[in-house]
Amino acid sequence: MRAALNTGRTIRQGSYVERKNSPAYREEASSLHMNRVDMLELEIEEGDHVCVRSDQGAVVMVACPAEGLDRGEVFVCLGPFANFLVDPETHGTGMPDFKTTAVTIEPTTAPVPAVKDLMEQCGGSGYEG
Amino acid sequence: MKVEDVVCPFCGCLCDDLVVEVDQNRVIGVENGCTLANEKFMGDRRLENPIRKEGRSWSDITYDAAIREAADILIDADRPLLYGWSGTHGEAQSVGVHLAELLGAVIDNTSTVCHGPSIMAIQEVGHPGCTLGQVKNRADVIVYWGANPIDAHPRHMSRYTTYADGFFVKEAFKERKVIVVDVRKTESSAVADEFIKVERGGDYAILSALRAIVRGKRDLIPPKIAGVTREQLFRVADICMQAKFGAIFFGLGLTMSPGKNKNVRNAIELTEELNRHTKFTISPMRGHWNVYGSNEVFTWITGYPYAVDFARGIAFYNPGETTSVDILRRGECDACLVVASDPGAHFPRACAEHLARIPTIQIDPHVNATTHLATLQIPVAVTGIDAEGTAYRMDGVPIRTRKLFDGTYPSDLEILSKIYARVKEAKGS
Repeated sequence: MRAALNTGRTIRQGSYVERKNSPAYREEASSLHMNRVDMLELEIEEGDHVCVRSDQGAVVMVACPAEGLDRGEVFVCLGPFANFLVDPETHGTGMPDFKTTAVTIEPTTAPVPAVKDLMEQCGGSGYEG
Repeated sequence: MKVEDVVCPFCGCLCDDLVVEVDQNRVIGVENGCTLANEKFMGDRRLENPIRKEGRSWSDITYDAAIREAADILIDADRPLLYGWSGTHGEAQSVGVHLAELLGAVIDNTSTVCHGPSIMAIQEVGHPGCTLGQVKNRADVIVYWGANPIDAHPRHMSRYTTYADGFFVKEAFKERKVIVVDVRKTESSAVADEFIKVERGGDYAILSALRAIVRGKRDLIPPKIAGVTREQLFRVADICMQAKFGAIFFGLGLTMSPGKNKNVRNAIELTEELNRHTKFTISPMRGHWNVYGSNEVFTWITGYPYAVDFARGIAFYNPGETTSVDILRRGECDACLVVASDPGAHFPRACAEHLARIPTIQIDPHVNATTHLATLQIPVAVTGIDAEGTAYRMDGVPIRTRKLFDGTYPSDLEILSKIYARVKEAKGS
């Protein structure tokens, strides 16, 4: 399924923003908010894993229904999961297109990575402390 | 011990009415705070000591060794980037700017990925803003455009707008009209008198239509614009023109959506049009605590509010070229100092990949996504909890924060001053 990815602050993301290695932060940052009809069409239920792909890469997230979104619109809170997909092009403004990333979504059984895993995929070395 | 009138160190509201209970060197209770404030004070789990990456593993080092290594990395770099600054106090930001000048570095703050486009628009057409106190006491129409204050600034509505009784607005909830403009339904849109649901990317068109209506050109408006009916736009324009005092607050729904700085310029120009009929103001919803302060401090010293490049020996500013995301995506910088922010989490992946390729030093109290990309991290005190300093509220009002207790961590100011002294000695200046 094709969709437009929007990102923004959620209160849960803000609550755990200084504990990015915590399961609570990962749960919030990896939640893909979707229209219920789109979930039906993909034959997925709340909590199912989905692979979200843009021209920048792919990342596994968790589908959850949202009342405020139209069909074809998905929302992820700002953070490393959403930013795995966002193009760094700024069109001369310094600001990437954080609100309008074209993505495809398909069901998967792959696990949701930790923030540390995502940063290791970027070339970093996970700090466990 | 209970400390009264504590300033919250989380978002740009800088709520200054918190009561915080302290037991020796930890916070054990918070009154008056929102969820974000409670987590900031009560969920505070710090990195214990400086850490350095060796190969793929991490080891503890002393503060003196970490400061030496950080300074040496910056001295050796040809094109260092000093990024972040919004989570710390103005005094530390000031040392950061002087350090950038000494190094010939680029210094940028988190505006670059929040209200940088707003600043570009303000530089074009000005900023008809006001303090939050004016809004609280006078405004009878509030517009939130591309902003969701209930999630991002949870007390904005209760302290300044929807639910805040003011001197001329005695019963705010009854007397104030609230208009929310967004591409999706949110908790904030649920409490609005009018919710304008715009199609994605349609903000510029809606702003232009409202400008035309306010100018008296109703006959030019087609039946539907960007998913919004003409009748709703007429109704909203009438509410705004009949206001005694209106205040627009806009968020990243304008700065990050197609149009970006031009969206904000159009919103400012709508405000100008409305001032032909009544009093109207417009202000950005600044998110990351002292981000407004970083713009102020950078501007005092360099003349520019963010993305300042000292490579020429003088301050140079060109968003799109000297902004952090552009420098990182081009792979241009060869070292990065990150202070009080988390670009690993909040920049696109390609930028995070470059941070992992170069020596990246992080000065931050907490382990975050950038920690995993960094070469070195130096933990510091949290301004407003165990460090004091000046921060700016989203409306440009400076507020002094206090220490709640004497902790064991050095402040950003102490660490940066030591790095600055070592760089200055090495440069012989």
